[in-house]
Amino acid sequence: MAVMKRSSRLAVLGTIGAVLFSALGLRLWFLQAVDAPVLEERVQANKTRTVRLLPERGRIFDRDGRILADNERVLTMTMSWEVMRRTADRLELFRRLAPLLEVSPSDLEARYKSNRYSPLLPMPLKEGVSEETAIYLIQRTEDYPGIDVSVQWKRQYPYAPIASHVVGYLGAITADDSLQYRELGYDLNERVGQFGVEKSFEPYLRGTPGYVKYEVDSRGVILDVVERKEPMPGYDLQLAIDLDFQQFAEMTLETQLRIRSYAEVCQQKKRVRDEQESLLRGRDVWVLDEEQSRIQGRDVVKLVPVIESARIVDENGQEQMVPVPPCSNYISPAGSVVMMDYSTGQVNAIASYPTFDNRWFNSGVDSDKFSQIFPRTDDPNKSILVNRAVQGQYNLGSSFKPFVAFAALNTGQLPGGVDYRFEDRYVAGKDRNGNPIWNNGAYFLRYGPNCNASAQEAAQNQQADIDTATGRDRRTGAKCVYRNALCGSTNRPCFYGTDIDVEDALAVSVDTFFYKIGEELFEERRAPDPRNPGQTVQPFLLQQEVRRFGFGSRTGIDLPFESAGRVPDQEEKDRLAERYKAFEAEQEYSGGDNVLLAIGQGLLAASPLQLAQGYGTLANGGEVNRPLIALALLEPGTPNAVQPGFADVSRSKVYLNLGAKDTIRTIDMPAEFRDPIVRGLSRVITGPGVTSDYYHSTTGEKLFERYPYDLLPIAGKTGTAQGYLSLPWYDSSVFAVFSLDPSRPVVVSAYLEKAGFGSRAAAPVAKCMLMGYAGAIELPVVRPSNPLDINSTLPAPQRELPDRACLSGAALGGRD
Amino acid sequence: MALSMLRRQPDSGLGNIRSSGGAPRRNIDWTLLVPVLLLSVIGIFSIYSATFWKIEGDPYWFTTRQVIYALIAVVILGMVMTFDYTMLRERAAFFYGTTIFALVLVLSAGAIRGGARLSFDLGPFSFQPAEFAKPVIVLTLAGFVSDRRDAALDYSQFVRAMILLGIPVALIIAQPDLGSAFVIIIGALAIFVMAGIRFRYLLMISLLTVATMAAAVVAGIVDRYQLRRIEAFVYQNSTDESLEEFVFQVRYAKRAVATGGWFGKGYLEGPLTNGKFVPVQQSDFIFSAIAEQFGMIGGGLVLFLFGLVLFRIWRIAQTSKDMFGTYICVGIFGILLWHVFQNIGMTMGIMPVTGVPLPFVSYGGSSLLAFAIMIGLVESVHMRRLR
Repeated sequence: MAVMKRSSRLAVLGTIGAVLFSALGLRLWFLQAVDAPVLEERVQANKTRTVRLLPERGRIFDRDGRILADNERVLTMTMSWEVMRRTADRLELFRRLAPLLEVSPSDLEARYKSNRYSPLLPMPLKEGVSEETAIYLIQRTEDYPGIDVSVQWKRQYPYAPIASHVVGYLGAITADDSLQYRELGYDLNERVGQFGVEKSFEPYLRGTPGYVKYEVDSRGVILDVVERKEPMPGYDLQLAIDLDFQQFAEMTLETQLRIRSYAEVCQQKKRVRDEQESLLRGRDVWVLDEEQSRIQGRDVVKLVPVIESARIVDENGQEQMVPVPPCSNYISPAGSVVMMDYSTGQVNAIASYPTFDNRWFNSGVDSDKFSQIFPRTDDPNKSILVNRAVQGQYNLGSSFKPFVAFAALNTGQLPGGVDYRFEDRYVAGKDRNGNPIWNNGAYFLRYGPNCNASAQEAAQNQQADIDTATGRDRRTGAKCVYRNALCGSTNRPCFYGTDIDVEDALAVSVDTFFYKIGEELFEERRAPDPRNPGQTVQPFLLQQEVRRFGFGSRTGIDLPFESAGRVPDQEEKDRLAERYKAFEAEQEYSGGDNVLLAIGQGLLAASPLQLAQGYGTLANGGEVNRPLIALALLEPGTPNAVQPGFADVSRSKVYLNLGAKDTIRTIDMPAEFRDPIVRGLSRVITGPGVTSDYYHSTTGEKLFERYPYDLLPIAGKTGTAQGYLSLPWYDSSVFAVFSLDPSRPVVVSAYLEKAGFGSRAAAPVAKCMLMGYAGAIELPVVRPSNPLDINSTLPAPQRELPDRACLSGAALGGRD
Repeated sequence: MALSMLRRQPDSGLGNIRSSGGAPRRNIDWTLLVPVLLLSVIGIFSIYSATFWKIEGDPYWFTTRQVIYALIAVVILGMVMTFDYTMLRERAAFFYGTTIFALVLVLSAGAIRGGARLSFDLGPFSFQPAEFAKPVIVLTLAGFVSDRRDAALDYSQFVRAMILLGIPVALIIAQPDLGSAFVIIIGALAIFVMAGIRFRYLLMISLLTVATMAAAVVAGIVDRYQLRRIEAFVYQNSTDESLEEFVFQVRYAKRAVATGGWFGKGYLEGPLTNGKFVPVQQSDFIFSAIAEQFGMIGGGLVLFLFGLVLFRIWRIAQTSKDMFGTYICVGIFGILLWHVFQNIGMTMGIMPVTGVPLPFVSYGGSSLLAFAIMIGLVESVHMRRLR
């Protein structure tokens, strides 16, 4: 019995044993055969730890080798987390370390608790310790277990805030960019170029990180060095910027903006007694103010500002009418200057105001302080961290006219070409009483479908139904009349005579001349549509022509965030209507749009850099050169020069030449077209103007009276871009000018926002630059700057031109 | 004596009148002994590979000790073999009493390691009574069960058997050493199954076991630390920091096993073993060192040797001349089986981590000696099967 039972019960136990053993066997097989490949990989990753060695960032020099961006070797004492795990040990260690590191133990404890530092890397105890302290501590590791020193580089900007917009700054990798930088092999705690050439040349400046690969055990204790690869420093960058001119440009710009903000300007006035009265009827009435009318014994007419109140939409969407003062100071908040070599495209100076000190970005100030200095703002007047010279999107005003003139000549729009004569005085129609309507310094649209007052129609049915104050057709609301700028001596639209050729038109900036070109190029040049026989298409000839000068597309300068600007056509208007509701009503591109474009107003948007590029093209006879901010990338390790603050760029090897002329396209510019334009522009500087009812001086004639023309002959054009409500203190000031001496190929553009007439605000700035370039005045000496004042609340200290003489001499009259 | 066996004269085999075919010394089961010896040798080499870096200046610290233990174990094994196991039956009560005394003593005077009192600290060596309780309880229960005449265990016998089992187990749980307690219960269960226990008693034992362990947890004898291991077993991929220690231990052990592949990384070439990734690898996780360095072949060989040992014990249980011998073998079979399954199972992540060493292989004197005694007992049963 017993034996039988024993066997069967043993069988049970045996079976259980066999089952358990099979389980083990299976599991072993499964682990080793199935899971192994995946797990094997993890083991390799676990066995070694790689510590990245950051390279020294490439330095940045100006064209003479001044060191604009340098690196300071910073020693940071670090402490292994492992050692600090136990609170009592840690506090004891901090207590002993604190006096050596010259910090308080509570600061160290605060760092430990802050969660700011990566648990994978040792915790930094103090940055910027002296070499002696580091050596002292490292030699006593048994007293200070876990202590180590790491070498880092801190970016220095010895000349800040000069050229801050160009050089830029470094910053943490933002969440938006993190993926992109990770793919490029960055650690997410690295600092990368965020602005200026620091950003645009980031891949070259950064260098190649090296690494040390350690073998570690499960607790992360380093057992051995497996592999070590030294980091490769980044390439040095030599800019085309000449810091002498850069500083001069920044000082001049800032000084002039400040001067302009002291100037007061008043609105144009209108008569209130008889609003119906046509301005065209009697110019004798137009000039009457109370005093004069009393003397002349005529009706007393009161003159009041054109705009007495404006509709404002506040933050809550509430509309309200606010009074508009008759006079105001210029706001004059911002501006930019570009100085360029038009034969090569090298940019010698590019200034933007308001400016900042790029050292703020690695000053270590807390975020509260930082947002106090760089407040978030929607006010375009106050934005600091934009380089207005490349990011600005401006109306160019009359400074755009040379390109329109070229377009008119090049497309054959002007009958007779350069021999064409424009009559600025003609009968535009007849009024209800049959009296002739003289144009009187205005241009009447001839093709406007909504303009009842088109000349012929008005003449026939005598229903010139136009509001003379606004120039709009009363019936349709369409703008039908476009006036010349007001002449200061008469306070009426200028009249320039009947014999205006292209040269004259540019010299004295005859708006009506260009209005006509604008309308006719749009209305008279429709072409058969190749795709729809029988239909015509609008070829947008004006747009085509000016785009060839670079307008409407990025210049391709190696600076970040460049804006392409806009040359308006139907496509652009569609795009605007898509984006902004306000454009839906007038989505169709009309002759009126083209009229405004012809004087650089309306929907035109361009940057001062594009303006300089365009004038450079006129200057060099048709080459559209890419503006070059840098001359070369140099092999790492450019030696310092004997002179402090300079690197010896002559002794470094060029890695990549960036300063060679890069011609984007060449415009075929026959001399017969170019010459009258250049002559017109040089008359802007030197005069003479034209004489019609009286002598109209050119816009720059008086300003440049004392300019040493024989030192550097120049030609340029002023512009005044009207702003909000066409109030004069919103007028922005533009000036672009180039040298007529091909051996000294300089082009300067200046744009001063809301600072008044081109000849008053921007032109003096450009004049200073040219006088500096010509050697007529001495440039202020460039010195390495004082340390950043951490207690300051300004983004950059105020700077003043030591000698303002070059800014003086602005014309009394004002018009463009 | 074992030594006399070695000194056996060439002529003392066939034709020697004093030694008949049934003489114990002529019936030594080498098929049981050789695998045990091989496992011990494998153990010594593996321990070296897992510990040579541990004590600075003395790479052989652990290995030397293990070799000494092994030599002592061989002597003990030989001594136990020579004893007639039937004579041990009367002395079972003495052994049992001594063991209970030692267990009580260790609770009050044992050295504390990791929150538990498991062992007496005897200078260079330590001594764990729980290990020696294993053969003693097997012996006691086997004696008790084989005393009865009836075919099946009746209730009063069952209760008495449960008391015999319960006292040492409760003391071991109190240490707390859940792993050993569980092993002993498994050994006892095997004996009970062999004795034809009723199913409801079996159920009762299971319930009692669970209840006791639960009580130990509630009473705070078993602290959070041990429960954490169970938690870590359930959540093997947990990222909970408080579980990290346990999760990582098993994770690296598993990786070590897995990355061994077919032939292993080679002796002393295991990156995880050399990299000190697996804590206490020389004792509880020795199998991971073997599998990493010798791969599937090595791990399989170890499993095969254990299989062989277990098969021999099972076979000896079958051929024993009396039920006492069978019960001894079955109890030891259960204990050994569970040790192997539990230990290798936890190394490969199919069992929770409990401090159960791998017999013959793991570093540790008490365990090695206890298993030497157990193998000696089995051998004794085999040697005397024909008497």
